[in-house]
Amino acid sequence: MSTFLQIQAIEKGWGHGVTVGPVTLDIARGEILALLGPSGSGKTTMLRLLAGFETADGGRIAVAGEDVTTVPPARRRFGMVFQHYALFPHLDVGENVGFGLQGRGKGDEGRATQQISEALALVDLAGFERRKVHELSGGQQQRVALARALAPEPRVLLLDEPLSNLDPALRERTRHELREVIKRVGITTVFVTHEQEEAFDLGDRIAVLNDGHLEQVGAPDDLYEHPSNLFVATFVGRANVFRGPSARALGGNGTGILVVRPERLRFAEAGLPGVVRERRYTGVAAFFLVEGDDQQRFEVLAEPDAARVGQRVYVEATRVIAL
Amino acid sequence: MIRRLRNTDLAAVALTLLLAWLVVYPILVVGADAADGTALRAFVTRPGEWAALWASVWISLVSVILAAAIGIPLAFLFEWFDFPGRKTLGALIALPVVLPPLVGVIAFLFLYGESGFIARAIQAALHLQNAPWRLQGAVAILLVHAYSMYVYFYLFTRAGLAKLDVSMLEAAQALGADRRATLRRVIVPLLRPSLVGAAMLTFMTALGSFSAPYIFGGGFRVMTTQIVATKLNGDLPLAMVETVALAVIAVLGLVILRRTEGDDILVALGKGIAPRPRPIRRASVRWLAAALGWGFAVLLLLPHLTLLLVSLVPYGAWTTEILPPVINLENYRRLFSEAERLRPMVNSLWMAAVSTAIAVALALAAGWLIVRRRVAWRRVIEGLLALPWALPGTVFAIALAITFSVHAPLQLRFVLVGTAVILPLAYLVRALPLTGRGILASYRQLDPSLEEAAASLGAGRWRTLARVTLPQLRPGLAAGASLAFVAALGDIVASIVLYTYETRPVSIEILSSLRLSETGVAAAFGVVLMLVSAIVLGVGARR
Repeated sequence: MSTFLQIQAIEKGWGHGVTVGPVTLDIARGEILALLGPSGSGKTTMLRLLAGFETADGGRIAVAGEDVTTVPPARRRFGMVFQHYALFPHLDVGENVGFGLQGRGKGDEGRATQQISEALALVDLAGFERRKVHELSGGQQQRVALARALAPEPRVLLLDEPLSNLDPALRERTRHELREVIKRVGITTVFVTHEQEEAFDLGDRIAVLNDGHLEQVGAPDDLYEHPSNLFVATFVGRANVFRGPSARALGGNGTGILVVRPERLRFAEAGLPGVVRERRYTGVAAFFLVEGDDQQRFEVLAEPDAARVGQRVYVEATRVIAL
Repeated sequence: MIRRLRNTDLAAVALTLLLAWLVVYPILVVGADAADGTALRAFVTRPGEWAALWASVWISLVSVILAAAIGIPLAFLFEWFDFPGRKTLGALIALPVVLPPLVGVIAFLFLYGESGFIARAIQAALHLQNAPWRLQGAVAILLVHAYSMYVYFYLFTRAGLAKLDVSMLEAAQALGADRRATLRRVIVPLLRPSLVGAAMLTFMTALGSFSAPYIFGGGFRVMTTQIVATKLNGDLPLAMVETVALAVIAVLGLVILRRTEGDDILVALGKGIAPRPRPIRRASVRWLAAALGWGFAVLLLLPHLTLLLVSLVPYGAWTTEILPPVINLENYRRLFSEAERLRPMVNSLWMAAVSTAIAVALALAAGWLIVRRRVAWRRVIEGLLALPWALPGTVFAIALAITFSVHAPLQLRFVLVGTAVILPLAYLVRALPLTGRGILASYRQLDPSLEEAAASLGAGRWRTLARVTLPQLRPGLAAGASLAFVAALGDIVASIVLYTYETRPVSIEILSSLRLSETGVAAAFGVVLMLVSAIVLGVGARR
């Protein structure tokens, strides 16, 4: 895996003791990297540092070996899709998409027109050139913003919460379309999200940020099955955390913390005892909220009819993550 | 349900007719009466008429250019750069807009006029026989206009810049646009509605401006002063033709400016975050910006400080000295102790209060019919409310003077000229666009479910109005009402055409004091007017 976008010990201080970084990350050519973290974790700052809207206090950013740490955004050739798209309301769709094509060499008009229609075709909006941006639906605006960012053929694509402005129903479909377009173009992409599902679905790898620090980088399976710490374990996916005797009852060695996903717990004849307090039915399965004898509560994902509320149960783990 | 609808329709019809009678009918009467052969011929053949008409147009256009040249750079300076005193100064330099034009004009006269503070100082310093200059004619008018009207550009541009979405600028940068390209291709197009709005407001204000040409014009006539002079000469038919000519120019100007505005909807799609003001890094530049800002603020406040000083000088005490030899509160004492001098103050206050109250009530009714009931001809009602803004005050003054000097009940014309009713009526007409705009804007932002919630909690119509609707409308209502009140308080345009001795307002008293060379009393009136206006506007702007 050859590194295309290199982030080396980049950091940024905000005063009041708030600091982001130092973060070091290598991103391969054509890879989609998700920056995942809760609000205030520094993921947006990281993206803005990459775009050049913020200047780093230390560290280095390089693209294909070229140091761009101090290159202003206008000359960095990074495409960006903004959270609220930032489509220019005084320009129509075609003019928006063509915005980045002007002033880059004296290309003839015909070529720009060609590039605009290609970019629009890429996002399935062929023929939308003369539409006004406020006449478009939210999903269409998002695709125009993507076409606009891609039209000047940037080296890296940056997306700030690309789907947060869409209806939940539309989100999943758009996610797949977005991934398809990015993969077809083959552009190296970094996007910010606070939703684990989105990060999993869209990203090849995920970088988990918390409190300005990089907690872990890895493929979705990696993060889910082998979280390197408690934060990643609980932030990525649902997790039950056990300590002490209950951890031992589930097969832990008794010293550390045991993290068990709800689907890795099952009702059994013996094991950790408890009483079912709630049942949340989801259709294919149900979440059972169980209160252990030490008053600790945890979730078990099982067949909808596996237990009743108020029933005394024993729980065993099929797979545990020891931290 | 059917009965409710009928009530709504009845109310809408009543309001429309009332507004039409107030703001359209007088104009139609003048238009019809102006179709008089002799007067038309007189207007067309006299060179003075064309000169005044042309003067009105070019003075207004140059005023727009001057105001833009001062206001736009200031707006960028204060919105985008941070330097010591930015906030205080930013508010201070918006001051001229809130003061009655007449007060600004006489303050200017006392400072820059031929017997003003500065001329006097130069005369004494250089031992001159006569004043070094005469502040008169077009230049003087333009100076006063630039001084008071740059605020429109300043405020509109700042508002436009504040609404600018910072991600819009970043998007341009990410697409390869440098600073100048961003300014040219993104910022200016996005600011265009604000700039056109400011240009329209400046053009209309300059076209309708009366105080400055009246006091500084001398032999130089613009249309507003020409109309009043013709009316005073008793040539009513000619005054009507002139009035129609001025109205036509105003409407033409509006139409042309509207066209440049276009019909684009320039609302950003997301909720924008305005760019934060940038601190100026280099100390020398930062101090230069601060010094410029402070210097400008002092320059702007100087006339009003002069006004304050002059108001403290008793009659006849200040003759040739550079600084006044005596300073006391004699003028203020006379203002409040002499019944004949107190009277204009009381007149102005009650007339402004009554006209504002009625304008608020009418605007509330209009807001309810337009926004809540969505009556079929809501655009007509809205247009009627806004119409007085589109025509200079002199046009309405003459129109009301003509319409309501005849007793013809069947034509809905009554003799109101010469009674205490006519001035409040004139103020009311001028107040409608101000209260209308404020209340309609607030009404549109008011979530209807708030009123529905009140209703579902058992509140009746009046309780909902008092406890939910009015408190929610308060910002727009207070802003509109305070502007209307201050405009009426300092009005001279309508007053000079319609006043009677019994109902003479402060502005007329200021003019007659000036004519009697009682500058101290005139200044004291000006200061009181300024203070009351500032307090009312301060209260109105409070959140």
